[in-house]
Amino acid sequence: MAEPRPRARVDPAAAVGVYVLVLVVLQIFLLTVALDGFHGYDPGLAWAAAGVSVLLAASVAVVERLLRR
Amino acid sequence: MTAGGPPPGVGEAGGTGGAVPVWRRDFPYRADREDEVTRREFVRFLMLGSGAFAVGTVAVAALTSARGEPDGGEVAVVDEADLRPGEPFLFRYPTADDPAILLRTPAGELAAYSQKCTHLGCVVYLSEAGDELVCPCHEGGFSAATGEVLFGPPERPLPRITLEVRGGTVWATGVEHG
Repeated sequence: MAEPRPRARVDPAAAVGVYVLVLVVLQIFLLTVALDGFHGYDPGLAWAAAGVSVLLAASVAVVERLLRR
Repeated sequence: MTAGGPPPGVGEAGGTGGAVPVWRRDFPYRADREDEVTRREFVRFLMLGSGAFAVGTVAVAALTSARGEPDGGEVAVVDEADLRPGEPFLFRYPTADDPAILLRTPAGELAAYSQKCTHLGCVVYLSEAGDELVCPCHEGGFSAATGEVLFGPPERPLPRITLEVRGGTVWATGVEHG
């Protein structure tokens, strides 16, 4: 019978890194949405994208702060 | 090769008074891995990037609010007699930076649209069949008759330029956003 494989250790910094990377990719999408609003003379769309992007940036900052503790 | 710390028997610079460890002076070679970025540093870089994207998006939103919508007024575009069937006429409206396209729809009516794709601003062109305005950047398509989106990533129709024919001349009189 094969020996049980040891459980892989997950580095919290690596996990948080992946999570944050996804958020940043989402922000790139939001930037294109804001540009869409710019080209379409639609400030409402652009500000909505900007608001969500700022929220994501704030959440990334919070996660990074938690990681430092 | 790694240089994670002083080799056994070699002390730090505390006793010598210098900022450079003794072992570094005795062994002044750098290893490739000394410049590697840790995961925590990587997350910090991502945080800076995230902030930059947020600032950029807010800047785009502010620019969108600040510039408003240009009013081109009434502009003579072309003599109707100079319009050839099946061939679009390109002009600028409402400003010199806004390409526009005037065409005759398959039903024979005059129509004009902004030539900027509502997805990311590439210039659309009239298809060979004359019934679609196609964006070559991301394969978006609009109806030549109405400006509505037919396919592809655009979400909004092309802005339509209102026209009037006065004494055989086609005039652009305004822009309607769908």
